[in-house]
Amino acid sequence: MLESTVKPKRRTRLATAGVIYALVVLAVGLAAGSRPNNLLVWVFSFLVAALIVSGLLSGFMMMSVRALRIEPRRGRVGEPLLVRYEIANASRVLAAYDLGITEHGKGQNRLEVAGPAWILHVGPRESLHGEAVFRPTRRGPVRLDEFEVSTSFPFGLLRKTLRFQQVGEVLIHPEIIPLRLDLLAKVTSAGFGGHRLSGSSGGHDDFFGVREYRPGDSIRSIAWKRLAGTGTLATVERSRSVPPRLRVLVDLRTPTDELRVAEGEDARSLEERAIVLAGSFLALADRLGYEYALSVAGLDIPPVALRKGHFHREKLMSSLAALDLDAPRARGNGLAASDERATVVVVHPDRTDLAVAPSDAWHFTARQLDSLRERSKRQESEP
Amino acid sequence: MTLLRQYRVSSFVLVLLAMVAFSIAELDFAMLFFSVVLAVLAWYVTEGPRGRTLPEWVANALILALLGYSGFEFVVRGTIEDAMGSLGRFLLWLLLIKLFAKRTRHEDRQRFTLATMLVLTGCLESVDLSFGALVLAYAALAAWTAMLWRLSLGADAARAARATEHGFAPPLEITFGRRASPQFRWMALSSVLLIFVGSVVGFFLFPRFAAVGLGGMTQGSVTGFNDEIDLRGGDRITESRRELFTLQWFDGQSEAGPSARPLLLRGAVLDSYDIGGQRWYSRRGGQSVGTLRTATNGDMTPLAHSETGEALTARFRARFEMRSLASDVLFSVYAPVAIATSESRTVSIDPNTLLLRDASDDRGGRLWYYELLTNPQPDAPLLASLSKQARSRPSGAGVGFPVAEVEPIARRIVDEVSRTANLPPEPEAGAPPEARWTRNREVARAIASWMKSNFTYTTDLSGFGRIPGEDPIVSFLERYRSGHCEYFASALCAVLRSLGIESRIVTGFIALEYDERARSYTVRESNAHAWVEVRTAEYGWTAVDATPEESLFAIQERNRSFADRFRWIYSRLEFLWNSSVVSYDASTQEEFAQRMQSGWYEALASRFDVINSRMQAIAQSLSLGSAGKIWFGVIGVGLATAGLAMLIRFVQRRGLRMALRIDRLPPREQARIQRDAVFYIDALRMLGSAGVSKPAHLSARGFAEALSARDASIGAAFAPIAEAYYKVRYGRLSPSKSEASAHSALILALREVLRHNSRARKTD
Repeated sequence: MLESTVKPKRRTRLATAGVIYALVVLAVGLAAGSRPNNLLVWVFSFLVAALIVSGLLSGFMMMSVRALRIEPRRGRVGEPLLVRYEIANASRVLAAYDLGITEHGKGQNRLEVAGPAWILHVGPRESLHGEAVFRPTRRGPVRLDEFEVSTSFPFGLLRKTLRFQQVGEVLIHPEIIPLRLDLLAKVTSAGFGGHRLSGSSGGHDDFFGVREYRPGDSIRSIAWKRLAGTGTLATVERSRSVPPRLRVLVDLRTPTDELRVAEGEDARSLEERAIVLAGSFLALADRLGYEYALSVAGLDIPPVALRKGHFHREKLMSSLAALDLDAPRARGNGLAASDERATVVVVHPDRTDLAVAPSDAWHFTARQLDSLRERSKRQESEP
Repeated sequence: MTLLRQYRVSSFVLVLLAMVAFSIAELDFAMLFFSVVLAVLAWYVTEGPRGRTLPEWVANALILALLGYSGFEFVVRGTIEDAMGSLGRFLLWLLLIKLFAKRTRHEDRQRFTLATMLVLTGCLESVDLSFGALVLAYAALAAWTAMLWRLSLGADAARAARATEHGFAPPLEITFGRRASPQFRWMALSSVLLIFVGSVVGFFLFPRFAAVGLGGMTQGSVTGFNDEIDLRGGDRITESRRELFTLQWFDGQSEAGPSARPLLLRGAVLDSYDIGGQRWYSRRGGQSVGTLRTATNGDMTPLAHSETGEALTARFRARFEMRSLASDVLFSVYAPVAIATSESRTVSIDPNTLLLRDASDDRGGRLWYYELLTNPQPDAPLLASLSKQARSRPSGAGVGFPVAEVEPIARRIVDEVSRTANLPPEPEAGAPPEARWTRNREVARAIASWMKSNFTYTTDLSGFGRIPGEDPIVSFLERYRSGHCEYFASALCAVLRSLGIESRIVTGFIALEYDERARSYTVRESNAHAWVEVRTAEYGWTAVDATPEESLFAIQERNRSFADRFRWIYSRLEFLWNSSVVSYDASTQEEFAQRMQSGWYEALASRFDVINSRMQAIAQSLSLGSAGKIWFGVIGVGLATAGLAMLIRFVQRRGLRMALRIDRLPPREQARIQRDAVFYIDALRMLGSAGVSKPAHLSARGFAEALSARDASIGAAFAPIAEAYYKVRYGRLSPSKSEASAHSALILALREVLRHNSRARKTD
């Protein structure tokens, strides 16, 4: 609920049907005036009265309509973005019918309308939610400035419009491409980042150690042999497995206009594909239960620790979504060698640069995106 | 959703109604039957369980064929007068083809347009009550359907937008509130009612530049009566049972009763025969007519006075009450002496024929009833008084007949008649004219009686062909000896004129059907009649009817039906329709406007007079003298100001109650909140002036949050005011002095923030 409290701008337009209707009324009026036929006169009066009543009715109807946009915080390229509108009818008597809602403003170039919101009826003193579906086309923050509630009810002759100023913002995450499932297993199995046991005890089967019994320990974990030998209660501790770890590094050190691109290739598009590939790595890691993190070389993004889970994933995706490719790049800012036990995957826009990451890192370029894509069974069976 | 499902049925009924209306306008019952049957069939075929439609190419081929046939038909057989009828028939069949075609939005639009065009075409063809009623029904249903159509279009557009995304967007789930259908019905009915009211106002105000050219009869009023007889006319005459008017006959008694003989109601006198046109017509040129204005209070107005200036007396009284007739012809029984009308009218009387007409400027049969004093057997002084202004009788007029073949036939007939009837001898030369007139009457009656015996009456002449070169009257007399009243009257008049007996034809109605319960005659279209009048005095004429009365009674009985009991309702409505709607023209409009104007003026003036007299009475009782008016003026102004102030206060308080959402609380609680929460009201006003109004559906806290999202400083300033308001509103806190001053401080802070923001905006 932002600036919805500001009074909406009202506008009335004659619809195409209204123009045709006006011409018909004119023709009937001429006919009625030129010959003494009172039935025609009545028909003419009826048509004129219908036009007036149409204007009055829709005017009164829209006078009491108020609207609020309830936009989601984030969306994703390629996935439907649902925006809700709360339509309230403050009138005590008149119901509002046939309310269409459309967005207007600068953010529209990043959103395609896939299904406009439409509400059949809002009764007096009622409040309803309509839902519009958008298709986000580009990553990044989308600003929603104003939206329009309009109706052509009752006869479709006049279109009454209320334009509400309500600034909102939706962060559009990059598109997620389903990558090959074995891809991460291959890159993590060789190095530090693969499965291993944790330095602390956990709930697995392997033996980790024996410690003194503490009240609350399960009776099943008591070291019975120790008890028999020493007469003291001790508890057997089991090992804890640590999921594989993955750090994705997006190499954005090179400014867009300095990227090496083939003829017909768009440098900015390569960068976007690199971001998509990085996001897809993160999504795959999340899907496989990895701990993962994101680093961006060249842009000032605070480092993120290795974690897993939905909120962590959303946080990293938001970081990717918020990357401003027009910001100045820092040339030498790579991923320094550290004792972090994680497989490092580096995604470059144009070509690999080994210097950006430790020597055991895996390097991919944005051009490899399609080749890394998960293939359907049918595609796999093809030679 | 019920509303959206209603649209399909509603639009089909609309199309059906348009087709029925046009068929009624054309009076083509075969078209009505076939179009309705085909339309219902189309509904079953397209909307039924199988849901079949015509392939597009078949529909297009049928339309092309129809177009070709209609064009050919119009070029070969059509006339300019029937152009609208041809167009309407084309539209109707086109509509029928469209009903069988696949139903899309585009097709729906076309059907709606075609149906409306069909009705408009019908409007150019007919102004009958039945058609008018159908047009009204169509208009109401069209408005209703258009609203449903709008909703249906909106739903379809929203669905289609999602369907094109191939599963990307979830399918549309139509959102609607509680009681959508009843509210729609309420709104649609109110709208239609409003449109009807507007259309009636528009109808009365629409500028009319010329009077409706109705001639003797109101347009669209087919009454069977005609002011000429065309013997080349149709093969059938009307047997319509439509009631035109009722007639009560008072024979010097207070209660009405039946007449001893069928009453002949005169409408037109035809004194000339056109051989080429084979028609009887009236030669009225140059005749002067007398006019008079009837009394406003319904009293009898004499049509003439005696030589001594006294009112003429008559034994019989006839009261005509209109049913469906809307005409300027005042049908009368021979010879009318005085007239009374339901409202004051200008009535003309033709001294030669004693025919009456409504000669008022505001034409059209707006009379609800009229009464006549009449004397069926007038004496010479009475006739002389009535015919004062008549020109002297032209010599030879009404004698001789232009068709030479009739004279030998007439001689033969007289010979034949004289064998059985005792005809008076031919008066000698130089005998007084009364003797000739008496003989003429007897001869006419004898010939009429002979014709009744030897000729047969029929309303269907389809079996009697026209003989080229032979006058229809000769054919009737010599060949067929069968026909309806027009032939009987024409033949009798032709024979009498050929024999040198001055005679003329009269058209009008014959009152046959007497209703014992209502004590009145019912006159229907089928009672249109023609008979002959023979001169029997200087200004006197005697009616002689050659048509067999028993045949007329037989037809009357044959056509009697159960529906006659209720037909008067329709007839009455038709009269209203014709007199109020169809014949509403420039003069009626002017009269209406004058009535309205004078009505308002008179009403206001009378009210003012009442007030003035009461004021004077009060001033006298209080001994205020001439200063009384000033006092009353001061008091009046004071009262008006107080009333205005109270009204403003009421509106303001109502607005406050709405803004505070306390309109459902008890009045005492409302008053308390309005008193204690003044600071909150002030804050809302200030925000409203700054362009930020609180929506009714937002709570105070919600509004504060919304303000914070918009402008943190305003939100921060308003939030404590909202909290304080909650304490007053829900905590029932009555602020102490210190709390009230704290509230004032909050208001001042908010004002300051708003001022600061305003300045900052201006600087930007």
